[in-house]
Amino acid sequence: MGGWAFSKASMIHVLRETHEAPPEIAARLKSAGGLNRWGEANYRVVWGWNRLGWIGGKFEDRTPAGQLLREVVELRREPKYAEVNRWHVERWVPPEAYGSPRTWYAQTMERAAGRSVPALGPYPARGEYEHCFTIQGVRGEFLQLTPSIVERVAQAIEWSRGRPKSNRREKLYEREAHQERSYEQWAFDVMDDAVPALHGQPFVTVA
Amino acid sequence: MPAQANANVIALQLEKVRDKVPLLYERDDILLTMIQQRGDIEKISSRNMRLPLQVNPGGKAGSYNADGGDLGRGSGSQYDVAQVSPIFFRFAIEITKLAEYATTGRERAVEDSTKREVVNGMRQFRAFLDKLMQTAGNGVLGTINTVSGTTFTMAVPNGAALVYPGQTIQIYDTTLTTNRNASSGVTTTVQTADPITTQNIVVDNVPPGTVATDVIVHDGLSGAQPVSLYGIKYHQNNATTGTWLNLNRAQYPVILATPRVNAGNAALTPANVRLAINKVRKSLGINHLSKLIAYMAVEQEHAWENLGITVSQVIKEGGGGNGNDLDLLFTGRKTMSGIPIKSSVNADQTRVDFLDLSHWGRAVLKDIDFYEVNGNTVFPIYGGSGGLASAFIFYFDTAFQVFDDSPRSGAYIDTLARPSGY
Repeated sequence: MGGWAFSKASMIHVLRETHEAPPEIAARLKSAGGLNRWGEANYRVVWGWNRLGWIGGKFEDRTPAGQLLREVVELRREPKYAEVNRWHVERWVPPEAYGSPRTWYAQTMERAAGRSVPALGPYPARGEYEHCFTIQGVRGEFLQLTPSIVERVAQAIEWSRGRPKSNRREKLYEREAHQERSYEQWAFDVMDDAVPALHGQPFVTVA
Repeated sequence: MPAQANANVIALQLEKVRDKVPLLYERDDILLTMIQQRGDIEKISSRNMRLPLQVNPGGKAGSYNADGGDLGRGSGSQYDVAQVSPIFFRFAIEITKLAEYATTGRERAVEDSTKREVVNGMRQFRAFLDKLMQTAGNGVLGTINTVSGTTFTMAVPNGAALVYPGQTIQIYDTTLTTNRNASSGVTTTVQTADPITTQNIVVDNVPPGTVATDVIVHDGLSGAQPVSLYGIKYHQNNATTGTWLNLNRAQYPVILATPRVNAGNAALTPANVRLAINKVRKSLGINHLSKLIAYMAVEQEHAWENLGITVSQVIKEGGGGNGNDLDLLFTGRKTMSGIPIKSSVNADQTRVDFLDLSHWGRAVLKDIDFYEVNGNTVFPIYGGSGGLASAFIFYFDTAFQVFDDSPRSGAYIDTLARPSGY
């Protein structure tokens, strides 16, 4: 047989696809969100596969079918977010948000098989970038990082910087009350569907 | 032909709305109804439903000597059976003649009062069951911190969040052994409840012997150690003693324990969240996160917002109100380290639960409907004289239980501080 023929075994399997955000996108977020105390951007965009984080403790490695293969105690660098094939917006969080190093290790140290392992790795002395949101469509579909999307994110970040935090609590309760009212309105609409048109009152058709 | 009784008219109205009742109940906006009736389970009878669980993997792995060595024997997977039995719940709605007379026009009056009571009743019944979903399966709606006359100040959690004005409650001692209402013949009804600021509940009657540390349970329970709906704290629990769905926790201390992060009465931090999520990843696989939701009280959602890392809401509202087509590209869903947030005013204010709802289900014996006797759904009320009282009653009822076939698939953070201002 002529042409190209590949066996399954000879095909290249891409295990980890990495991407860097374009510099102009990083620059736009830097101007929108400002800089942290280290002169780094408060906001950044990262690709899921690029973003690794520390996970320590006892791992249970399993087959795809869920069968336990082995248990091992160690510290690993693994993708931080489950959505590895998506762009994520992160925000820098200062080290004090994680408590003191003493608190950090007291809280995160796990002991397994006679070993102590910090479950989240070393104390983030320079702070850490945390997940804000994933750039994806309303049904979770992939969205490419386009200049217009980044501009929208940047605008929202700029807008949020001038927003007082004090009214957030009230807004949450307002939202809950609104949901309660919307249920009631919806329920009455459902009930109205159950009765005859015009509530059974006689009517005539006007030509 | 006898004159038409009002009960007949109301019964007709109820029949008219009957097929709407499941719609009003099953709306997917509270935790209870997010937990689906499981399609892979036959609708259960009054006998226990059995959930086979693989508790230990099978097979013997090892090396061997191929030069005539003994390969050894094998083993099979071990299974055990969790069992679920349904609990019956009812919601009683009474309509007085006055309510009917309060609106003009005979037909509309009946229709309106029926419609109003069905909607209000269903909303309240859903809320009641959703509140039970926050409990540990024993029907405890709160713990009394102090008693002052007819005012109870409730301990956080759950404060006064799980009761509603007009609800009949019962008071048990802290060991859930003595039902103080049953032993004294006193009925206790909630007059007011403040679940946000004071956590006070005002009741009409306090049964004798009520003290701080007593607990409040819902109406209808009786006896010692009552059993109610198995809520989040029943399934998401790292206890290694007691029972879980008729299995002995001590026998399976690892597979029945949900990973826990103890926040130590401190405020929520990103580290708490990562710890909890990583515990799930370590036990079930690094990529096992896709189906989790982060379920929490509004207070903890507020705490998360205070960390300043939730931008999705800003995106949704955002950009100074000049929304454009890009709004449609974003889900607008608030997330916690990438896990969608579902918040509730009923949830424990000191806790965040990561739930994999694909493992949760409802075993249903009777779907929600009107309670019916020989085709009748509306019943008269009798006065003290034995004559009719000027009121009618009808009921919603349902029978089900909630289960989680993989307690290790979730995680929780507890003993969180509430943000200031509460």
